[in-house]
Amino acid sequence: MLRLLVHRARAQWPLLAALLAVAMVGPTLLGACALLVTRTAEQALEAAASRAAPARVDVTAYTVTVRGPDARSVADDTRRVLTSALAPFAATTAARASSMMRSLPATRAGGDGVPAETYLSGVEDLPTRAALVTGRWPRGAAAGVHPGVPQRSDAVRPAAPLEAVVLEPTARLLGLTLGRRVHLGAELGGDPSRPVDVTVVGVVRPLPGTGWDRDPLAATGYDLAYHDGRSVRPVHAYGPFIVDLATLLAGGSTIDRLEITAHPDLSTPTRRGLDTVAEAVLSADRQLARTLGDRVRIERVASRLPSTLLSARDQQQVTAAAVLTVAVLGIVLTATALALAGRLTAGVRADETALLSALGVSRGQFAAAAVVEAGALAVLAAALAIPASSVLHAGLTHLPPLAEAGLAVHPVVTGVHVLAVAGGALALAAVLVALSVRPTPVADDRRHRRELLARSGADVLLVAFAVIGWWQLRDQPTGSGSSVDAIRMLAPALLLTAGAALALRLVVPALRGVERLARRARGLTLPLAAFEAARRPQAVAAGLLIGLACAAATFGVGFDATWQRSQHDQADLAVGTDLALTLGAPPEAGQGAAVGAATGGTVSPATDRGVAVGQWLGNAGDVPRLIAVDTTRAESLLRGRLNDGRRWTDVGAALAPPTRATGVPVPKGAVLTLTGKATGTGKATDTTPLIVTPRLLLQDATGLRIPCDGAPVRLDGKAHPLPACATVEGLRLVAVSLPFAPDLGNVGFGFSDAWAELPAGAGDSRVAVTLTVPETPAPAPVSAPAPAPESASAPASGSASVGAVPGSPWSVTSVEPAPGQLGNPAVALARTPAGVQLKMTTTVGLKGPPDAARTLVATAFPAAGPVPVAVSSRFADEVSARRGSRLNLTVGLTPVSVRVSEVLPTVPSAPGAAAILADSDALSRALVIGGNLDLPVDAWWVGDPTRADAAVRAAALRLGAVTTRASETARLTGGPLRAGLPAALRLLVPATALLLLAGVVLHVTFDLRSRALEVARLRGLGMTRREVRAVLLGQHVGVLLPLLATGAAVGALATRVVAPLLVRSDTGAAPVPVALPIWPWAAEAGLLALLLAGCTLAVTAVVVVQARRVDVAYLRVAS
Amino acid sequence: MSADPADRPLLTVRGVHRRFGSGPTAVHALRDVSFDLAAGTMVALIGRSGSGKTTLLNVIGGLDRPDSGTVLVDGADVTALDEDGLSRLRREKVSYVFQTFGLIPVLSAAENVGAPLRLARLPAAERERRVELLLELVGLADHAQQRPGELSGGQQQRVAIARALAASPRLLIADEPTGQLDAETGLSVMALLRGVVESEGVTALVSTHDPTMLALADRVIQINDGRLDEREAS
Repeated sequence: MLRLLVHRARAQWPLLAALLAVAMVGPTLLGACALLVTRTAEQALEAAASRAAPARVDVTAYTVTVRGPDARSVADDTRRVLTSALAPFAATTAARASSMMRSLPATRAGGDGVPAETYLSGVEDLPTRAALVTGRWPRGAAAGVHPGVPQRSDAVRPAAPLEAVVLEPTARLLGLTLGRRVHLGAELGGDPSRPVDVTVVGVVRPLPGTGWDRDPLAATGYDLAYHDGRSVRPVHAYGPFIVDLATLLAGGSTIDRLEITAHPDLSTPTRRGLDTVAEAVLSADRQLARTLGDRVRIERVASRLPSTLLSARDQQQVTAAAVLTVAVLGIVLTATALALAGRLTAGVRADETALLSALGVSRGQFAAAAVVEAGALAVLAAALAIPASSVLHAGLTHLPPLAEAGLAVHPVVTGVHVLAVAGGALALAAVLVALSVRPTPVADDRRHRRELLARSGADVLLVAFAVIGWWQLRDQPTGSGSSVDAIRMLAPALLLTAGAALALRLVVPALRGVERLARRARGLTLPLAAFEAARRPQAVAAGLLIGLACAAATFGVGFDATWQRSQHDQADLAVGTDLALTLGAPPEAGQGAAVGAATGGTVSPATDRGVAVGQWLGNAGDVPRLIAVDTTRAESLLRGRLNDGRRWTDVGAALAPPTRATGVPVPKGAVLTLTGKATGTGKATDTTPLIVTPRLLLQDATGLRIPCDGAPVRLDGKAHPLPACATVEGLRLVAVSLPFAPDLGNVGFGFSDAWAELPAGAGDSRVAVTLTVPETPAPAPVSAPAPAPESASAPASGSASVGAVPGSPWSVTSVEPAPGQLGNPAVALARTPAGVQLKMTTTVGLKGPPDAARTLVATAFPAAGPVPVAVSSRFADEVSARRGSRLNLTVGLTPVSVRVSEVLPTVPSAPGAAAILADSDALSRALVIGGNLDLPVDAWWVGDPTRADAAVRAAALRLGAVTTRASETARLTGGPLRAGLPAALRLLVPATALLLLAGVVLHVTFDLRSRALEVARLRGLGMTRREVRAVLLGQHVGVLLPLLATGAAVGALATRVVAPLLVRSDTGAAPVPVALPIWPWAAEAGLLALLLAGCTLAVTAVVVVQARRVDVAYLRVAS
Repeated sequence: MSADPADRPLLTVRGVHRRFGSGPTAVHALRDVSFDLAAGTMVALIGRSGSGKTTLLNVIGGLDRPDSGTVLVDGADVTALDEDGLSRLRREKVSYVFQTFGLIPVLSAAENVGAPLRLARLPAAERERRVELLLELVGLADHAQQRPGELSGGQQQRVAIARALAASPRLLIADEPTGQLDAETGLSVMALLRGVVESEGVTALVSTHDPTMLALADRVIQINDGRLDEREAS
């Protein structure tokens, strides 16, 4: 038998070569996919780790309250713990420390009687974190001389004071100049170290995004109402005095905060190394606690590195699952092609088989021969597919997106890869064996019926499995879950196969219809082609393969488009705008203009904060989010897919106040003054002196509102200059907050204990406060008059004097919760030679409850009703809200009433979250009316940036992290961890096309060979060669066309039904927004045209060759 | 001066040689074969297996080309025709009936018979009438819609004869038409051939082993080792 096999192989080598070629495709695809999900995936993980932003991989240890003598050892030990946790990777560390507050002599603090405090700081790599304005960087103290270390005698002070630099505001407020020696008092803690002297050697300006937000005063340089935690009274805080870090740590000062950040060098990471580090970092907290013991009060290690790696693994698995889905599809297609080739081979060998059978060869011997032949084919296919897939994989990695993701590799062979290829080849060999050993079909009615039943049963089973697969796919959890899911892998292949099998059932009736039409034709060519196509069962023998291949190819293109679109949608929604600059520190006035100039786009400050909705604080770790931007420019600013054909302009228009607040222009550098007078309403002797700590709210050209805090001002009838608030051009004063308090000397600022200390006979005070704003040449006109105040709750809307000064009318109100403590509030605006004057009057009730706020707020806008908001559908579901619902939010500590005006699928930048979208102006107004002038701003949003390098320019501002839609899209579509899927889809389409062509060529070749005599007979009837070719071409193309059409229909159906379900987010959860099926008409039409052209070309070539071979002369032999 | 076409033989074979292979192993299938065939006659070509019967029929029908010699069918030199000319010849003047029937399996009996008429682009109505007539002529009017696979061997050969006659050829070449049929069926097929020769005025050249055919033929041509040995039918 073996000899027969060898002889047959020699005789039928073209046939076996064809089988081998077909059998190679699947294992090659499988091998390439195996390399994608193993070698490339690991490389992707490493690439992702090496590209991760420092914030995502840094490990920071925080220690609180370190005794002076322990500071250095604590710092050293902390560094050691961190670097050992990051082993085997090298790590660099950077430390920042701040001492406990020390008293600052009153002479340095303005002498208003309020205690002043300051502190020392040490910052490693200070020149990279701050810019030197003047002077030089501080040097370390001389060896052996340490500030603050208790000396043998208090009378002995260090020989030389410490060198320090200060921030510009500190220098300005304390009047510090270079060379100035400052005496800092003792620490204000329980175990104070002794005073220390410093010499100012420089003035610096902090660089944004370099960790200054964690400075005790957030690098503002001062806080005139600082709470040091020792008393309810606020104090004046200045600082820091930045000294050399080593000197600080060695100096004996108690370190209030010590922060050491270790940055691992992940430039050449390994998977094992990353695993080790992730585990070590997770246990670093305990390790640090054990190491530091009671030398510190609190210690903590924080890092996003483990979660970064975990999330990278999730992404890796999500991609692997999708790639394996493609591989399964490829294998199913190859099996189908091989089944066709096997059937055709069996047909060719039918006579031989019959003869051997007649000679007494048993089925067992046939089976053994089939196993040997298929096994040899499998071995050969695997041997060829291993290097082929390796080269294919390498080639693929040199193309985008893998090449762009830095994943290009040379051809490699791995164990898993070899196993996958061998497994695939063996599975396909099994298909060949199964086909070879099945009994030869006998033309018998009963048999025919049985086969028909079996085929119908198989179809029904296939459809049932497909429906179950789709059902499972549809019902997969929406939450994260990235594990490779068998259902997800098999469902598309099942659906496509079932669809192609069912569609095939429709093709034959369709061909019969064509045949009926063709009968009417007069000639022979067309009817004969139609008859052949419709009546010969073998005509559609390759039907399943053609239909399935076409369905798979079109599905591949559709899935790719759906996936790409979904990634774009996800990116749009995740960023929420075109460019988001997330701030590392609170913004400053005029910053928006710089952002606008850098990007050339529409700029708006954006707020992204957690809020409480009534009593609801959200689910665990998932608080409701409030997003506030300038919605009057929603179309430019907001991104993300809306449903029902709505546009962001419409949504934004419903949220924004009808008019903008124009306020009072404040020229740059203008010195505002405040004059106030408090008069007792009863006898003159009852007059209680009052002070006010004014807060001004200034708005810049981009709509950013920044409060400017003034120092407490006595209402003594004198003009008091306010701090320099007008730092940039284009500012407008839009609100003033005046919290009144009794002036009882050096006591509180609007706090209950001040009211508690009031004399028993204290009565009400009539207060008149005038804020003078030096006038600009001409205040800007107002586009439209503001409507009358909506809020009737304001005790007395201001009687605004708008006749003298153009601009929006001013309103005045008294802040909750006890507005009744201020009577008859009023505001008037007038132009005087000194400038525009805002005159506010009210009666302050001194007898009311001491905890009641007595704060007058004057605003350049009316007190509006509930803030209109748009909420995400998830938010609406969670709180059972719908359009028109009224809700109470707590923003910070301020309650804000809102009204739901829109329910959106999701809110920009908060995909899938329970989120609220509001207009920042409307929200700010509500907060201001509630007495809160601080609308936190977390980012700058830029819409429609015109500069190509907007992101680079924005990053160069060093204000914070820059994210763009484009970069997020690129990350999602072409990032190392995501690029595997488009690459695999890129493999699928040509592989299916190749199999389709191979199947068509094989089928047509075998078909024409088996019909050689029939073709000769047609020539014998007098048909010319051309006519015969036309018949054959017409027949095959006539079959191809409906098969391709139904295949495309199945592909389209699968794209619509399955593709969106296969798209998952980074974490393996359902994407937000929901993926929409995309059927790229142009690409699909192009693909179909290519497939049709390719098939037609292949058929034509085969027909021409075969028709030439099988001439009429064939009759003389065959007949 | 040319002869009157009415007197001219329908088929003229002159000095036809056909050799297969070369050198010492060459087989001389036909050696200087010459003969004429008058129109409207039925001629039997007999000889042993390998005597050259089929080769002679193939050369006459244009399925094969002689090494030398000429074959004139109704005045047309078959040996000088190109492919299209041969196709036209087969479409208009010469028809075949093969031992294996030569029907197109996917076509019904009526469609098989109608195929030459479609090639001649006959209008549908006329085609259908002629198909009906021919099927009646061969006694298969009731089997018009059956496909070859559903017909017996004799019925298939009748369909083949009807198809061969469909385009009203001048010459009908039948190569062992009864070779696959039993004696009784073979006889009926031969009788049918005889009948259509008379009714349609066709010239038939039939190779056969069947002695009963000799009685039906107007003339018998015997071929031995590629040489003609003619004798008139009794």
